[in-house]
Parts: sequence; C-alpha cells; structure tokens
Amino acid sequence: MNHNQIRGISLLTIAILICTMQAKSQIVCADVEILPASGERADFVFDSFSKYISGIAFHGIAKVNVKVDDQLPPNPNCKWMLSMSVENNPASGTPADEWEQLVNYGVGTLSPAKIEILEVRVTNICNTSPIDGVYQNFTQTTDIIEIIENTGIRIDAGSCTTNVNGPGSYLMNYDEFHFQIDFRIIPGFDYDPGMYQLQLKFELVEVP
Amino acid sequence: MKSKLFLFGVIALVMGLHNGLFAQLQDEKSVTITMDLQPILQLDMETADQIEFVFDDIKDYYAGITKYGATILKVSSTVSWDLYAVGRSNGTTGAEFWDQIIDYGSGTGTNSINEIPLSAVELHQSQPNNGAGGALITATYPDYSTPFPASNVHNGANSLYVNNGTLTPPTVADKYIAGHSGTTALGDDAMEGGSYLTAGGYTSDYYYVIDYRLMPGLPAIFPNAFDADAATAEDLVTVNGADSYAEPGVYTMYVQYVLVEDQ
Repeated sequence: MNHNQIRGISLLTIAILICTMQAKSQIVCADVEILPASGERADFVFDSFSKYISGIAFHGIAKVNVKVDDQLPPNPNCKWMLSMSVENNPASGTPADEWEQLVNYGVGTLSPAKIEILEVRVTNICNTSPIDGVYQNFTQTTDIIEIIENTGIRIDAGSCTTNVNGPGSYLMNYDEFHFQIDFRIIPGFDYDPGMYQLQLKFELVEVP
Repeated sequence: MKSKLFLFGVIALVMGLHNGLFAQLQDEKSVTITMDLQPILQLDMETADQIEFVFDDIKDYYAGITKYGATILKVSSTVSWDLYAVGRSNGTTGAEFWDQIIDYGSGTGTNSINEIPLSAVELHQSQPNNGAGGALITATYPDYSTPFPASNVHNGANSLYVNNGTLTPPTVADKYIAGHSGTTALGDDAMEGGSYLTAGGYTSDYYYVIDYRLMPGLPAIFPNAFDADAATAEDLVTVNGADSYAEPGVYTMYVQYVLVEDQ
C-alpha cells in the first residue's frame, strides 16, 4: 500500500464516520428532566396473615413528572421515551431474579423473595402509556419496561392520545406528562421471612 | 511507516469523537422499595377448658372413654411448618406422669401406683399427616390418624408423645400431627405455608379435629401407654411389675400443641 492509497483510505474513513456520527448523535432536545429529582420510598410491612393473602397496594406513592424542552428554533425530531427497570444491588451477590435480602428472620428453609412479586402500574389522565392501568412485573433485573415507547414517530403534546412523546411539560400538559405510579405486592407463602430491598428506576431519554 | 501511523491516528481520533458525541440527553429517578416479610405462625384452637374423664362404671374402665371432636386445631402459617402434641404435667408425681390431685382412700396398697404415664392419653386426628413421607422418617406411626384400636389391641398407634416433661419436638421415630422431624422438603417432613381460611376448610391440611381416649383397662394398668422413641410399653405392669394397678384418685395433665417453623 503506497502513501497515496493510505491517505485516500484515511479520508474515506473520516468521511464515513463523520456522516454516521451526525446521523446518530445529534442532540435534538434542549433538556429532559424527571421531577422531583429526589427519590421516594415505599415500605411494605407484612405483619398479618390477611396481608399475605390479599397483598398490599400503594396507590400514587411515586410520581414521575416529565419535562422535555425543545430547542430554539424548534427541532421536529425532539422526541423522548420513558422506561423503568429494577436494581437489586448485584455487587452484594444478589441473583438477577431476587430482591436484595437485608435481614433473614429465623432459620427457615424457603428461598429469598423473587422480584416478580413486585407489581407496578403506571397511569396518567390521558392514558398515554401503552401499558396504562395494567400491573406489570419484572422477572430479571435486565428487564426494561417501556412506559412511553420509542416508535420513531413523534406525537405532539396536547393530543391526549397514546404514546405522546413530543416536547412539553407536566406544568403545561399535566394530563400527559404526569405519571402516577402504583405498587402492589402479594407475597404468598413461598419466601423466607426477612427484610428485602429493591430500587425501581425510571429513565427518561431523548430519541433522535 | 509515517503514513500508517497517520492512518491509525486519524481513525482513533474519529472514533473518540464518535463516542463522545453519541451522548443523549437523559434523566433518571429511583424509588426505593422495602419489603418486610414477618413470619406468622397462628394456631387457632377450639376446645373445652377442661376435658374430664370420669370412670365410675366398670365398662368405662374396660372399654375406655372417648371424647370425639373435643379439640379443633386450625393453622395459618406464612412459612413451612410442623405441628405436634406433647403431654405435660406439673411434675408433682414425676416429669412423665399425671399430677395426682386427690388420693381416694388410704392409697397404701402394695401394688397401688400413682404414677400414671402421660402417654396413656390417646389421640386421633381427622386428617392424615401429609408432611411425613420422607425416607428418613422411621416412625411406625408418624401421626395419630390410625383409628382407635379395639380395647384388646395395644400397639401404641395413638399414644401421646411425651418427652420428660419438656416440649422438645419428637424425633423421626415419633408422632407429629403435621410435618415431621427434619428439613428435607415439603411433604417429606414439612407442611407448606397456607391457611385453613383459603385451603378448603375442614378437609384441608390446615384443619384437624382431635379425639381423645383414655382406657385404664381391667385391672387399671393403662395398657396403651407407649413410648415410641424408646419403643417400650409404659403400662403400669411393664414399668412397675406384676399386679400393679392405678391408685384411685383425681389426676390431671395437659396436652400442649406446638406449631413451629420447619427447622
């Protein structure tokens, strides 16, 4: 390979990668935020037999307020998606399908609680999520459940329909950008008594 | 050589820029969820305050007295469990004997014995023990589900478990009402968590109707007293010698039902 050929290949590589880069990495919105920023907490205490049988549900214990700012001038590609996943402190050795066990009560021979017993329901007034009002559960920490899907199509705020994902704010478009989160757990009798912990993470990301 | 280095440099630079510029705007929020699963073992019992056996007729001595359905046990548990019965007393006559409250007559007969074994009490449970199927269980009678035998049959099938006045659980050689000694598996030596409220009521593994029988025999030696752990008869003649018999009087003891997490 002579000097000119190498130089030619270099220029071609630069051109291809720059084109790809511009197509994929363009920032299309001015800002995306979930508010409030501080974390919330839900404590489930199963201290009676009836609670084990019927479960405990917390309605609206967490709120996700979405704020997505468009660029100036407005960018027609500014869209976003919202998803949720769980985290169980795997660094402590917790298997991917179990809650992190903080304390084990007694010396029983059952197994630690599975994360699948946590049910999460997302709702808002316009029912914009495709999973609106239906309890969802995770079987592994690698599971990701999309609340607002990345369909590649932008649906502007104010349309009050499924999958609204254009710029907007819970302040101006409350019915579409404010999500109420409900939790429900029905533990049954298959798990070791003890104290368990799990993190539910919401992720808001722009999608060019 | 210089040209090749230039080529690698260009590629590395572009790749670095590519990765750096690939970032997207994003935000995250977390909710911490804690779950406190407290163990619940609940034994509901319906029974008379006191179950009385009055032997004032010769046929009662001979055939015994049976109290059907005198106790009903209802289990609710969030964990795997075992249930057993153990005979106990205050130990005034001895750790494994009934307490003698009143001694009728002079009570000084040579062969008159006031040490009536607690294992003379016989139990019968309405449902078989479905948590004692393991290979390690050696008991001839792993529960009290055998019907009371005829008065002339003395096999210890229903004799109450006793352990020197303590409530220590029975071994693999003795009787449980449900579950058994060991932690091998559900069905082998443990019952699954659940409740009579949701599992089918009186036909379930969480609901037991207990019958009691006391049979002094003639002479009154309590021929069905039996220690399954030691595989020995505990009737008054075997323990005290020929011609022994129970001293007339009022005696008392109690049956303790223990619901415990399988362990």
